[in-house]
Amino acid sequence: MLRPVAGDERCGLKFVMTLLETRSLSKYFGGLAAISQLDLDVCPLEILGLIGPNGAGKTTLFNVLNGFQKPNEGRVIFKGQDITGLKAHKIAQLGIGRAFQASTLFMRLTVFDNVFNGFHMNYKEGGWRSFLHTPRARKEERNIKQRVMEILEFMGLAESKDQLAQNLPYGHQKILGVCIALATEPTLLLLDEPLNGMNPEETSTVLDLLNKVREKGITILLVEHNIDAVMRICDRIVVLNHGKKIAEGLPREIGNNKEVIDAYLGADEEVDGIVS
Amino acid sequence: MKEVTVFILFGILILLLPLILKSPYQMHLIIMLCINIILAMSFAMLFSTGLITIGAAAFWAVGAYASTLFVMNLNISFWLALPLASVTTGVIALVFGSIIVRTPGVAFVVQTMVINMIVVQALGQIDFLGGWGGILGIPRPNPIGPIKFVSKTHSYYLILFLLLLTIVLFYALYSSRIGRAWRSIRLNPRLAQTLGINLFRYRLLAFIIASVSAGWAGSFYAHYFGTIEPGTFSVFKSIYIQIYSILGGLNFYIMGPIVGAFIMTLMPEFLRVGKEIEPILTGGILVLLVIFLPGGILSIPERISFFPKMLQDASSSSRG
Repeated sequence: MLRPVAGDERCGLKFVMTLLETRSLSKYFGGLAAISQLDLDVCPLEILGLIGPNGAGKTTLFNVLNGFQKPNEGRVIFKGQDITGLKAHKIAQLGIGRAFQASTLFMRLTVFDNVFNGFHMNYKEGGWRSFLHTPRARKEERNIKQRVMEILEFMGLAESKDQLAQNLPYGHQKILGVCIALATEPTLLLLDEPLNGMNPEETSTVLDLLNKVREKGITILLVEHNIDAVMRICDRIVVLNHGKKIAEGLPREIGNNKEVIDAYLGADEEVDGIVS
Repeated sequence: MKEVTVFILFGILILLLPLILKSPYQMHLIIMLCINIILAMSFAMLFSTGLITIGAAAFWAVGAYASTLFVMNLNISFWLALPLASVTTGVIALVFGSIIVRTPGVAFVVQTMVINMIVVQALGQIDFLGGWGGILGIPRPNPIGPIKFVSKTHSYYLILFLLLLTIVLFYALYSSRIGRAWRSIRLNPRLAQTLGINLFRYRLLAFIIASVSAGWAGSFYAHYFGTIEPGTFSVFKSIYIQIYSILGGLNFYIMGPIVGAFIMTLMPEFLRVGKEIEPILTGGILVLLVIFLPGGILSIPERISFFPKMLQDASSSSRG
């Protein structure tokens, strides 16, 4: 679907094909609007940052986008297809992957098995053949085990493949979450605060990884509180406050936006990275 | 190599068991043990998708009654009635399952229990199904050549075959992508959904397969025992089935039921306690288990290997 995208000067195009768009999307909890009348465009192959004070509706938006919650109004369109209100597994099958805010992993499985389980959708052989353990199914299983190792090596977790997920350090657990999401081979990856609780060193490692992920052809929609990191990595930024979009544009535009600064200063005075 | 030797010896022991155990009563216990293992494995299969059932005995009943009705009313062979009864159980599981599998958690537990009660009530109230008195004189499996299924030995080999079939079938499932999807659902349903796993369909599949296996155990039971009555298939039995699996270890979908059912079926005989005291004993075991050994008997080795580590940690922290 061709649509004008605000502030997109990156590639010098006025019109860009959107990968995901929401149109007047609203989600209410009781009388409270967690998201209200939101129009969001995600272009292919960009890293779009989604920022906003606590309670701005970022996680709710993710829950609506990946099908955990149904919106009250509006539409979600992915690759030109209306996916509003579809179940989470259907949306995953269409190519939206998600890594969670809390370390949502298979805690009692090894790192390897975590990613192995993530490959559920990418078998060509059906469950029946897999049950009968036919030669073709077994060959495919070996092939997928190799792909698991490729992902783990790509993300730098290969050494801890036999560790239980629950025994990993916090930073590695977050990376493992991304590995599992990558195993679903998504077109669009929703990342919920991947840098939360990381030191500067870990942060730059993860930022490098995210750039590498994008180079593989995966579009990233990123929710993150670490403003500096968002400014560094994102191509465009959308700012939410009280479920509404209050600004959208290139990182430097957002940094100078009066409304954004007000929203942040009103909510949290310690965020000063945005002013500079 | 050592493991292979042990395995082969164990296999020979199982095959030659009828020669070792002379009394028919002992053989009867072993046959009931095999049935209980199948039932506990069907419980474990649902547990592997994160569902807890207190209704396993209901599908055991469906298998038993369906098989009996097929043989006695349609005059077909047991060998045809067994698969037919299993299919019937599967169809009934599909109907009930597609309603109740949608609501996991406590709701599912209660619903399976209610289904168990409904089935028992229906069997007791409907005269066509024999009423509370049950059905008597169910014919034994049709003879195959010289094998007449009159002796316990013949029945033992038949149920042993069914048990091995169930084990192989379940093992193949657990080690396939279906089993991996089940495990994903059990360990983290939210995450499983984002991996594209259809929770409803995979849970329903587990529900049907588990019920079908209980169904063929029921079909065998009816024709082995010769009489069936609704009381046998009560919620109590379902709770026992659950305990077999918990006692053995819930994380061990095949070995757990085997170990748990073995202990629970044979222990009352060794202790020689009366039927009245047995439930108290069972309840006591369950309470102790949940408190001290939630992982079941098979988790003991794991725990022991943890102990030295805990001691090390304790001593090092006291030094530091």
